[in-house]
Amino acid sequence: MVQRIVLVSLALAAAVGAPRAWAQQRQITGRVTNATSGEAVARANVSVQGTAISAVTSDQGEFSLAGPEGNARLLVRHIGFRRREIAVPSSQGRVEVTLEPDVFNLEAVVVTGLATGVERRNAGNAVATVSAAELGFVPTPSLEQQLQGKIAGADIQQNGGAPGGGLQVRLRGVTSINATAEPLYVVDGVIVSDVAIPSNQNAVTAAAGGSNPSLNQDAQVNRIADLNPSDFESIEILRGASAGAIYGQKASNGVVIIKTKRGQAGVSQVGFTQRFGFSEISNTVGSRVFRDTTDAFGAFAPVVPRDTATRRLIRGLCALPNGACPFFDLERELAGLRPLSFESGASVSGGTENTQYFASGTVKDDGGIIQNTGFKRQALRLNLDQRLGSRVRASLNTSYMHTLAQRGLSNNDNTGTSFYVVLSATPSFVNLGIQPGDTFARNPFVPSNPVQTAALMKNNEDVYRFIGGANLQWDAVQSAGHYLRFITLGGADYFNQDNALFFPPELQFEPNDGLPGTSLLTNSGSLNLNLNTSAVHTYTPSSNAFSATTSLGVQYGWRRLDISRITSRNLTAGQENVDAGTNIVIGPERRERIKDLGFFAQEEFLASDQRLLLTAGIRADQSSLNADPNKLHYFPKASASYRFLKPKSFVDELKIRGAYGESGNEPAYGQRFTSLRATSKVGGLPGTVAGDTTGAPDLGPEREREIEAGFDATLWSGRGNLEVTGYQKNVSDLLLPRQLAPVQGVNTLIANGGKLRTRGLEVTLGLIPVQQSDLSWIFRTTFSLNRSVITDLAGLPLFRAGGFGASLGQFRVEKGASATQIVGNDTLTAADVASTTYDYLGAADTTGTVVVRKIGDANPDFRMAFTNDFRWKHFDLHVLLDWQHGGSILNLTRLLYDFGQVTADYAVPLRDTVVVPTSDTTADTLRTVGQKRIYGFGKVAKNFVESATFLKLREVTLTYTLPPSAMTSFWRGARYVRLSASARNLFTIAPFTGLDPEVSNFGNQPIARNIDVTPFPPSRSFWFSIDLGL
Amino acid sequence: MRTKNLLAALVGLGLATGCKDLNVPNLNSPALDDLLTNPTRSKIATAATGLLIGTRAGIAAQNGYVSLLGIVGRESYNFDPADPRFVTEMMVGPLDGGSPAFGGNLWGLPYRNILNANVVLAATDRVPAVTNAEKEAVRGFAKTIEAFDLLKVIVTRDANGAAIDVGIDLTAPPAPIVTKAAVFARIVQLLDEAQTHLQAASATFPFPLPAGFAGFSTPGTFLQFNRALRARAAVYTDDFAGALTALGASFIDTTKSLNLGVYYDYSTVSGDETNALFDPNARAILAHPSFNADAQLQTSGQKDDRFLRKIDTLSAPKSAQGLTSDLQFVIYNAVDAPIPIIRNEELILLRAEANVGLNTAGSLAAAVTDLNTVRVKSGKLPVYAGAVTQAALLDELLYNKRYSLMFEGGHRWIDLRHYSRLNTLPQDPTSGGASKRFSKFPFPGFECDARSPAPAGCATETGF
Repeated sequence: MVQRIVLVSLALAAAVGAPRAWAQQRQITGRVTNATSGEAVARANVSVQGTAISAVTSDQGEFSLAGPEGNARLLVRHIGFRRREIAVPSSQGRVEVTLEPDVFNLEAVVVTGLATGVERRNAGNAVATVSAAELGFVPTPSLEQQLQGKIAGADIQQNGGAPGGGLQVRLRGVTSINATAEPLYVVDGVIVSDVAIPSNQNAVTAAAGGSNPSLNQDAQVNRIADLNPSDFESIEILRGASAGAIYGQKASNGVVIIKTKRGQAGVSQVGFTQRFGFSEISNTVGSRVFRDTTDAFGAFAPVVPRDTATRRLIRGLCALPNGACPFFDLERELAGLRPLSFESGASVSGGTENTQYFASGTVKDDGGIIQNTGFKRQALRLNLDQRLGSRVRASLNTSYMHTLAQRGLSNNDNTGTSFYVVLSATPSFVNLGIQPGDTFARNPFVPSNPVQTAALMKNNEDVYRFIGGANLQWDAVQSAGHYLRFITLGGADYFNQDNALFFPPELQFEPNDGLPGTSLLTNSGSLNLNLNTSAVHTYTPSSNAFSATTSLGVQYGWRRLDISRITSRNLTAGQENVDAGTNIVIGPERRERIKDLGFFAQEEFLASDQRLLLTAGIRADQSSLNADPNKLHYFPKASASYRFLKPKSFVDELKIRGAYGESGNEPAYGQRFTSLRATSKVGGLPGTVAGDTTGAPDLGPEREREIEAGFDATLWSGRGNLEVTGYQKNVSDLLLPRQLAPVQGVNTLIANGGKLRTRGLEVTLGLIPVQQSDLSWIFRTTFSLNRSVITDLAGLPLFRAGGFGASLGQFRVEKGASATQIVGNDTLTAADVASTTYDYLGAADTTGTVVVRKIGDANPDFRMAFTNDFRWKHFDLHVLLDWQHGGSILNLTRLLYDFGQVTADYAVPLRDTVVVPTSDTTADTLRTVGQKRIYGFGKVAKNFVESATFLKLREVTLTYTLPPSAMTSFWRGARYVRLSASARNLFTIAPFTGLDPEVSNFGNQPIARNIDVTPFPPSRSFWFSIDLGL
Repeated sequence: MRTKNLLAALVGLGLATGCKDLNVPNLNSPALDDLLTNPTRSKIATAATGLLIGTRAGIAAQNGYVSLLGIVGRESYNFDPADPRFVTEMMVGPLDGGSPAFGGNLWGLPYRNILNANVVLAATDRVPAVTNAEKEAVRGFAKTIEAFDLLKVIVTRDANGAAIDVGIDLTAPPAPIVTKAAVFARIVQLLDEAQTHLQAASATFPFPLPAGFAGFSTPGTFLQFNRALRARAAVYTDDFAGALTALGASFIDTTKSLNLGVYYDYSTVSGDETNALFDPNARAILAHPSFNADAQLQTSGQKDDRFLRKIDTLSAPKSAQGLTSDLQFVIYNAVDAPIPIIRNEELILLRAEANVGLNTAGSLAAAVTDLNTVRVKSGKLPVYAGAVTQAALLDELLYNKRYSLMFEGGHRWIDLRHYSRLNTLPQDPTSGGASKRFSKFPFPGFECDARSPAPAGCATETGF
């Protein structure tokens, strides 16, 4: 067995080796069992080292093989267990082999190229692997949620509480300012789309009509949410360019490589899962309690000029004895539902030596905490593997999904429509709930009732998606020392997304624009096609001194994205059809086609008794997104690792590794063109004029150069595992907009330039403090931190990278500053003026001068997560705690509540009142916390900056596995029966006064996350599950 | 061996795929490069019509050419409650180059259209299936519009100068700033080249012109518009003899409507622009009170008919930042009301101005004749009865230009600057101090950022 560098696709199949002559002399039999549970391990691979003799264990764990004369060494392997080598003296005919569970995924094969992989113990990169066993403790709609807290260096945050996804995966900190922020997702070799298409709710909220024109305020879902996490066998994460260079121009945000489950030869296995659960709101912001009419008058009906109409209104609402005001918990009136959720899944897998299959189906229905919200998925998968003769193997993966996300109306708005925007201006003595006679209250303070909006509106995002791939492997040469395989993979990822939003004329806010009733229809189609062809050649000399693997390949990609929109207002008879409106706007339509071609070559050299691995490779990419579509951009990589065996008594193995690699981030579609605007007319005649932006003639990808180094240690006979990695990413050729001299005729040139640097540290530690047959405890922790700095802006002045302006706090890209710094208006104190720190202060700046300066940084100080898995007899307890320390978040929800004078703490008296002179003779007296914050508006943006520190109990699951004895009575023939109770986000401890410190009003962003503007409220979920295996 | 063959085959496949052209056009809008490298008759036609979209850009906006030059020329106020800078910056100053909305657009938008014109000219040289005569028509049209845009640039920057050698290479360093005289020389050169092109042109333009060019929509008649602009440029540079020559070939005609001329078009068609100077409720734009005080009287004792016709008195005055006015323009009485580019009334006044400038007995008499034409036809005023001297007639000329060309594009400001009379503009007291007189706008900040050292015109304009 010399084939240490194994082909990824072969990882599950029996390894191939150079055949040697042997003599079949004796029979060796045995049984393979799980060292911790004592259960039989079926389908374990047992081979005799130095020969091609191998066998597979039966369902009872038994095996029998014809061994050679003399002493033999058996190697026993099974996915999910650590390998075991065992000596069988010539005198012995039967062996009992126990396998230890591979808790730390040490046996995994990690990718090194598009068609190659290497055993993790040799890998020159820190590649995070999450196995199926670590997924699915608590069901989630979206894959990313399953990864939260499980990978060091992955900052995974949910943009809002709306059901159905919308999460950002940020791997190793900031890698761009203006290009994409998404990692590349690859499912069974097929690059799949993770695009986030706004629903066009902006047509109602006019969120982009304010001081930030970004259209990404629609709480959009990035489309990886369509995938069914229960189909995944493993997830590998390439966090930076040193590992991701093989994906070239698309990989600078990292690569997430997903493998789905496959069948294995043997009797068919059937699994059923049935889950029931519910969700409930997990945090509220609260609202000010008004004591009585006097209190309310003070806020809403000033004495001068006397507002009698409002006073009359308040007297009517605060009609309790003595003018006391009632208190209605408006958040719970809106988001107090606890709907039933369920998930049903079935899978069947099995096959013969030549044909294996895996098929699954899932139906999921998550209720939302707000009326008319929720998430549904129906998914089907069929994976087939077929051997065609001894040298050719074909596989086919198909999956079909339908998801329906109903996401309510959240985030920023400028029209008083978004749920929490309305709550922020509605005092708690107004009851917005359903009134007698099933009517909805009219909100007298803002012409909008979110409870009514939720009950009558529709915001449906239907996605029909097909992902399929076919893979053909041909072992062209299999001779002594030489092994050559060709691999061809073709894949397609198609989805159609329909966003249908409907706001009937009955809504209180609908007549506000004079056009009652709004219906929005967005239809999007996306197709990604991939074609890869690779050749992998491995040479091993007869001395077995080394093995050298050469791979060459080509990858072609074709992407299409079409989005068309119809906005219809003033709906006749409240009809939803978009043609029922009198005011219909078609468009804007967006069309994209992208073609790219990549070539790669790689050499891997494994020597010194498989302890030294050297790898070097290069990828060359051309893409229609670059100014010169036929120019090749090169992305090299190299890595080295060396394993020390038993360097210390408590260290089983220590691997030192170092790697370097480069990868890119593509320009956006259309950036390279100077457009002509073709939509303008003069006197009704159409004409074309030059557009606003142009691309540099040499526009190309951003380039990330990453160097990483670290070590992996296996400790205490496999009871401990430590991985430490440090990295530095230098990103250059950033895609930056540059203002041209206006005489050029075009405002903005998109050009490559500028640099940023991100440094970080990642530590993963796994321990098995207790490991007994009926009691075990596995502890895992991850730690990561990173710091980014803008090192060069190519001569550009500092600029805003997100946010609403200096008075509200905004992200600012500035040479020498952290990439995620938040700046805002701030008022100089006497100490500031005296200090020499603020060298930017002008001579005229005195105490009280408002300046723009740094008021926070979105980047957390560090992140840690703790996973504990306890097993006692037949009970398993899994607990995952996720901790983010530090970082800032802009809480603009509280600002809106302050403006509405309904913040929970608005009326809390200040210990010392503040008197602010407004002229020589007049002064304002600030008496409450809220008044002081309002007074600081425009002067002290720090008022909106809060700590983003949190500790979340992400997952807790208690599982009871029926013992075999009980099982026979429960269901004869069942392989397993498990009952579990679980909860997700059971609690959050955070100093943040808003809803959730993870949110992002602008969705996924390279920099400008952490802006909270009236998001969808967060929820926790509880589940009860039955898993049954036959 | 077999291995090598297979590898060779794989490399061959890779190269074969590699030869495939990966170029993808811009699917969302036509591309400028495509117009340049692959021009067709229809692309040239829409791009030529587009020059009228480009030259109209920012004319009617609240912070556009007519409105801002109206403020600095004390023709108008803007009391927009959302933006105090119409008073604080545009009246009290200093004029700041950093803000695109307050003067920067008056520089950037004409240059955008000069790029458009240069692209049309370059593409026209290459386009197939267009006759030489038609190409000459397009060239004559494009150069006339380019000259007009350059004229709009220099009247706002005046002594600061401007860039003239701008091309279509967006990556070239910005063209150098040259003197005002050099800019006018280029304007004259472009207009005269356009004349030559138009004289060699086909009978019709190979593209449609909108209603604002009615009567001037063939190369032959468009040339009259070209000469009208040439006359304006000549008067601005004191080339009075040249002005008279140009006017002779223009559409000047004392027997025809004073409104005969060329206009910017506005419409409510989707994609078209509306006239934002139409402000029926006087939300923001008001006329300067001095129009009332300074208006001459008709024999009936009524005010100059131009004042009566173009300005309404509000029932209650409006105030902002210490300024007050009860006068509202009614020149643009609909969202699709056209704005004059140049018209017969101005041409008659330009002829008078040239004759005043020539200052001979005959020319002064000719000037009086033209002034009387305008006084009588437009103002319903009695004929001129004052002294026939250059100084007196210049006063009278400037009065008539002020009332005839009221709020049509900064004529008052430009003319007072031309004759060094900006100091006659009233210094209205605002709550932020007395308003100042400005002679020119500074260059926009982005123009200065791109140049090292920053040219003199980058300094803020403090006024006097």
